[in-house]
Amino acid sequence: MARKPARPPLPKTPAIDHEVIRELAKLLDETGLTEIEFERDGVSIRVARYSGAPTARLRPVEAPLAMTPTAVPPAAPIDPTRHPGLVASPMVGTAYLGAAPGARPFVEVGSQVKVGETLIIIEAMKTMNQIPAPRSGTVIQILIEDGQPVEYGEPLMIIE
Amino acid sequence: MFDKILIANRGEIALRVLRACKELGIPTVAVHSTADEDAMHVRLADESVCIGPPPAKDSYLNIPALLAACEITGADAVHPGYGFLSENARFAEILAEHNVHFIGPRPEHIRLMGDKIAAKRAVARLGIPIVPGSDGGVGSDEEARILARDIGFPLMLKAAAGGGGRGMRVIRDESEMAAALAMARVEAQAAFGDDTLYLEKYLERPRHIEIQLLGDGNGRAIHLGERDCSLQRRHQKVWEEGPSPALNAATRDEIGETVARAMREIKYLGVGTVEFLYQDGKFHFIEMNTRIQVEHPVTEMITDIDLILEQIRVAAGSELALTQNNVKFHGHAIECRINAENAVSFRPSPGKIIHYHPPGGLGVRVDSAVYHGYAIPPFYDSLVGKLIVHGKTRSECLMRLKRALDEFVVDGIETTLPLFRALAREKDIIDGDYHIHWLEEFLARGGLEQ
Repeated sequence: MARKPARPPLPKTPAIDHEVIRELAKLLDETGLTEIEFERDGVSIRVARYSGAPTARLRPVEAPLAMTPTAVPPAAPIDPTRHPGLVASPMVGTAYLGAAPGARPFVEVGSQVKVGETLIIIEAMKTMNQIPAPRSGTVIQILIEDGQPVEYGEPLMIIE
Repeated sequence: MFDKILIANRGEIALRVLRACKELGIPTVAVHSTADEDAMHVRLADESVCIGPPPAKDSYLNIPALLAACEITGADAVHPGYGFLSENARFAEILAEHNVHFIGPRPEHIRLMGDKIAAKRAVARLGIPIVPGSDGGVGSDEEARILARDIGFPLMLKAAAGGGGRGMRVIRDESEMAAALAMARVEAQAAFGDDTLYLEKYLERPRHIEIQLLGDGNGRAIHLGERDCSLQRRHQKVWEEGPSPALNAATRDEIGETVARAMREIKYLGVGTVEFLYQDGKFHFIEMNTRIQVEHPVTEMITDIDLILEQIRVAAGSELALTQNNVKFHGHAIECRINAENAVSFRPSPGKIIHYHPPGGLGVRVDSAVYHGYAIPPFYDSLVGKLIVHGKTRSECLMRLKRALDEFVVDGIETTLPLFRALAREKDIIDGDYHIHWLEEFLARGGLEQ
C-alpha cells in the first residue's frame, strides 16, 4: 500500500505576546467590536469574537499557513443536535441497538450504511419498529444506549 | 392513589392538572409537542416526554405516542384535560387494556353522551327536561316537515355527532327546509364522519345554564351548582359566571337535584356538566360534557371545592367524601376567557409576549400558562389565560373584575382584554340581563368601538 504523502512543514509559530493579546481582548469587550487585527514586527495578531467569548490567533505575516482553518472554532464543544448528519427519533419508545435486547447491534461506530438500512429498533407497546437510515454514510457517533427510553426528536446517532 | 400521572394535554389546563397533582404529592409526566418544549407545565413537571411534531394529530391526539410515553415513564394514570382525547371513549378503553387508568368517566358514558341523540333519549328517560324535537335522527325531508308542523318554527338542525357548538343551523320556515337538510348532511359527514341529523325547537332568547356534577361511580353523585355561560361568540363561551343572575336557590336546588339523581342512577364516575338552555322559567337539555370544562374555576371559587383534586380522587377509587350538604355557595364569581385575538376582528394573534403582568390581590385568580417572554404557538387554540374573579356579591365581583382587567398587561400580542373591559361596563351585563345572542348582537352593532 502506498504511503500517504507527507504534510508540508508548518511555519514556526511566532513567540506569543500575552500582553498584546490580553489588551486586544479587553479592547474588543470595551468597544463592542467583533474583530481586531494588529500587526507588529512581522507578526499579525487577530482577535475575534464568536458567540460571546473573544478568541485569538497568531500568525506570521510572510508565510501563509497551509493547514490553519480559516474560521476559529467556537469556544463551546460541538453540539450533536446541530450536526447536519443527526438522526433523531421519529417516535416515543425504548430503543434497542440490536434485533432483540442484548443482541448484536445493527450498526456500530464506523459502520457504512445505505439509506433505508435498519439502524436501531424502537419498541412501543410490544411492537418492534425498525428505524431506517435517512441517508447513506458512515456512523460516526451513537448517542444512545441499548434499552434507553427515547422521546420524539431524541438524538440517536450521527451519520456523515 | 396513583403512582404517577401523565398529563395528556397542554396550555393552561395542563398546568392546572399539574398543580392538583403536586398538591396531592403525585409525580407528574408532561407530554408535549416540539412546539411546547418551553411550556410552563413542562418545566414544572417531574418528567417530560416529547411525543411529536406540532400538529395535534401527531402529538396530543397521537394515541400510540401517548401510550409509549406511559410505558417508558411508568405512568399508571392519564389525565386528558379538556378537548383533545378527553371525550374519546376508544382512548379510555385502550388505556384500560394497557393497565393505565383514564381519569374520567367510564367509556360507556363517554360514548352515550358523545352521541347527542342517544344522550337526549337517555336523559329524558332519567327525568331531565329536554328541548322538544325529533325522536332520534331525521330520516326523510317529509318526516322533517311533519315534525316542524308539530313543534313549530323556528327549528334548530343539529348533527348527532357534533356538539360544542358545531354542526348546527337554524331553519326559520318550511321553504328553507330542504336546502338546509341537504347542506347540513354534507357538512356533518365531512366534519364528524356521520351525517345523522336531529331537529329541535329553536329557542329565541335562552340563557345557557349548565350544572356541574361529580360522581364516584358507585351510585353517589352531587351537583355543585350552575354556571351561566350565555355570553358566546360563534357558540364559543367568552364570559362565564356563577351563580346565574337568572336563578334563585329554589330553582337551583330543583334542577341540581334532578341531574344529580340521574347521575346516581347511571353510577356516573368523575366530573361532568349537563348543559341546558333556560327560557321562560324552563330548562331544556342540550348536551352533557363528560370531562372537566374550561370554566370549572367559576364553580371552584363559589364552592371552595377543588374539582381536579376530586376528579383524581374518585378516579383512583375513593368514595365520594362530599355530600350535597357539604356544598355551600358563597359569593359570586366571573371568568373571562382571554384569547390571543384582535378584540374587534377576532383575528388570531400568535407571537411573543414581551410584557406580562397579571392582576393580583384578594379574590383574583389567573389560570394561565403564559409568562413573560413566552411565544404563543400558532398550532393550537388561542387561549392566553382565564381571569377569574370572586366577590361577596355580584356587584363587588364586577368592581373587582373591572379593577383586575385594568391591571392586566399582555404586550407583544393582541388580546381580547378590551372586549372584557367594555363588557364589564355595559348596562345589560351589569344588570345580568343577557341571553345567548346578546354578545353577537353587541358586537354586530359595534359595541366595542363605542
